[in-house]
Amino acid sequence: MANKSGNAYALTLLCPILQGSPKQAPEGMSDQTYADLVRYYLQRLRVNEQSPMARVPNTYLSRLWVLNDVPYQGRPAVLEHLKSNYLVFSSNLHGELEAYLKGMWTAIEREIREILQYCVGFDRVTNLETFIEYIKLCQVKTTFFFNGSTDEPLAAQLKSLYLKQELSKFAFENQGKSPAELQAAFRAFVARTQPANLARPTWKAGAYHLDRVVLD
Amino acid sequence: MFSEVDLGDIQGNIVKAYGRYGFPVARYVFYHISSAEVGRQFIADIVPIVTTSVPWLDPSTIPLVTTNLAFTYEGLRHLDVPEDTLHGFSDEFSMGMKARRDIIGDTGPNHFSRWDPIWNAEEPGETQHVHILVSINARTEEILEGRYQDIRRILANAIAKFPEINKPGVTQLVGHRGPGTDNLPYQPAAALAGRGDKEHFGYSDGISGTFFRGCGEDPMLVVGGGKPTGKDPRTLAGWEPLEPGEFILGQPDESGAYPEAPGPPLFSRNGTFLVYRKLHQNVASFHSYVEEEGRRFPGGKEALAAKFAGRWRNGAPLVSFPTEAEANAFVGEAVALQQRVWAKTATPQEQARLAELKLQFVAFDYVEDLEGARCPFGAHTRRMNPRSALEFGQKGAFGNPAFDTPGALTNRRRLLRRGLPYGLVEGHPSDEGDHGVVLMLLNADLSRQFEFVQQQWVHFGNDFKLANDKDPILGNHGTNRNCRAAGRMIIEGDAKTNTPPYFCGNMPTLVETRGGDYFFVPSLTCLRMIGLGIVDPT
Repeated sequence: MANKSGNAYALTLLCPILQGSPKQAPEGMSDQTYADLVRYYLQRLRVNEQSPMARVPNTYLSRLWVLNDVPYQGRPAVLEHLKSNYLVFSSNLHGELEAYLKGMWTAIEREIREILQYCVGFDRVTNLETFIEYIKLCQVKTTFFFNGSTDEPLAAQLKSLYLKQELSKFAFENQGKSPAELQAAFRAFVARTQPANLARPTWKAGAYHLDRVVLD
Repeated sequence: MFSEVDLGDIQGNIVKAYGRYGFPVARYVFYHISSAEVGRQFIADIVPIVTTSVPWLDPSTIPLVTTNLAFTYEGLRHLDVPEDTLHGFSDEFSMGMKARRDIIGDTGPNHFSRWDPIWNAEEPGETQHVHILVSINARTEEILEGRYQDIRRILANAIAKFPEINKPGVTQLVGHRGPGTDNLPYQPAAALAGRGDKEHFGYSDGISGTFFRGCGEDPMLVVGGGKPTGKDPRTLAGWEPLEPGEFILGQPDESGAYPEAPGPPLFSRNGTFLVYRKLHQNVASFHSYVEEEGRRFPGGKEALAAKFAGRWRNGAPLVSFPTEAEANAFVGEAVALQQRVWAKTATPQEQARLAELKLQFVAFDYVEDLEGARCPFGAHTRRMNPRSALEFGQKGAFGNPAFDTPGALTNRRRLLRRGLPYGLVEGHPSDEGDHGVVLMLLNADLSRQFEFVQQQWVHFGNDFKLANDKDPILGNHGTNRNCRAAGRMIIEGDAKTNTPPYFCGNMPTLVETRGGDYFFVPSLTCLRMIGLGIVDPT
């Protein structure tokens, strides 16, 4: 199945956005379409480790954007239009879809409701079950899925990245030491980095600036 | 299918000629940015009051006041718009209007050294001192002042949010000339009181608009405002809407492609370029030339003034109303009916008749006037919008079947035209003082549209088979070796009536540039992105 590559899963959603503008425009947003409102909400979301998606377990990466239309290739192509604006959600994740969606709903239900509030049919979503049904209706089959990392659970991947970074630092800091000193230093390194403990210390989900990624 | 053109994302001054909706007064306010943080805060805080292009279908939805924003290239740079995005702009936009002076005729009396001081306030190393244009149009002077003060407060609050920045960050620029001063803090403009739609030379102005697909305006405005189909110009069949990409970035244009625009696409989509020009009118020169030459010209001075413009000063097009008597009868009937409609005393028949007459102001082409016997080839309106006239009556003149439409040489040179008169001419007509028109033109491609028209159609005549004659009204005519005004215009004769052509010589420059620049008019989405500082071209 094209959505899967080992234990990695590629989730792509096209959620149609309501057409037109709300009767009661939010403050400072008069005349703006539902698509404009969705985009403005997304543009103000915090990113990286502060993104709500960083709180969703097992998210390798994710992206949200508003698709206005298909681009026109110029003559002699025919000018075509989509039937609607779409909210596009694209993510790579670990594990099975339903378990992932359960984790998402549990972690960020409030944000999901805000992000999807102007999407067609989202008013029928009242709980986890109807959310999963809704997502499956909007799902687009992923083709040519290429997973850019291993397919381990996210916590294992973050810990590996953390250990790799720390080990590299260790090598630089301990160059030229005697075997006894080196062994002592390595014991201290293992005690500090706790390789078997996936919870901490490790990289924060969503982080990519190497100087502020570690969860101590 | 959803609307192709998101009018709520497009600024209102692009689509709406505010004058038509009853906004007779305006102020143009300019700013300099020295702190990107304060600049972005100012933009973020002002976006909620920016007027959009959403149609005002019901008169009750027309606001009391409008507000719109635009930026020069340096303005965008000072807001920290990324280099990669800035590099996507055209040379003419990044160079600015002054640097394009040789192309657009801003030399001699039009040279920037003679412009209002605001345009010459550069500090060392700067190419543009003006960064932001805020334009306000209102129903009354009082409402205008209210919005102006709102914007001053918005700026003061934005500045106050950054106490650690040891300078204002954004400064409202002074230096506009006005009555008895050269240091006004804004450019005022207003319709001339009691004179309807007249400008300072006495012509009715702003009659013919430009109509594009998806603009949301009255569909009847396609007549005369769209592109000619070759069918009867007096009917809807004679016209089609222009493609929106001629005026709106991110939409297909007349060539069947998107106009060139900087990335990311979301930055430029639904934006356009604005040409701001303060044009001084030499009212005394106009009157004395028309008076003197009109004594010799058959038909007299009023007919001569009509030949300059292509319309009688009351607005009637020469090509449909070749005599003054016909023009006066036509406009007289239209004005009387309009007054009855406003007084709500018009019968349905009278209302229908008024609609028919209104159409006649714009529903024409030059196919019946290929010799220029009625409207000269060199007349201002025939130059600015030749309609199908560049076909010179030859069907299939443009060869390639894909582009063989009567407007093929015109459709890619169209402009949206906005603006109002400024200043007053009181008492004796004068060239001195501060009076003219603030002209604003909108287009997707400054070089292909505005600069081409300015260079080839205002300051040259070859496309009209007029050698190097210039537009009689807008041309920078210069002087000859004897220091006499060098403008000239051929008013074609009429073989049918055995009328010889008439040559106007020694025409003085009637309109002079007193300021201006090229501005980018972003979409509402783009304004919010600039405000948030999240423009990302990667």
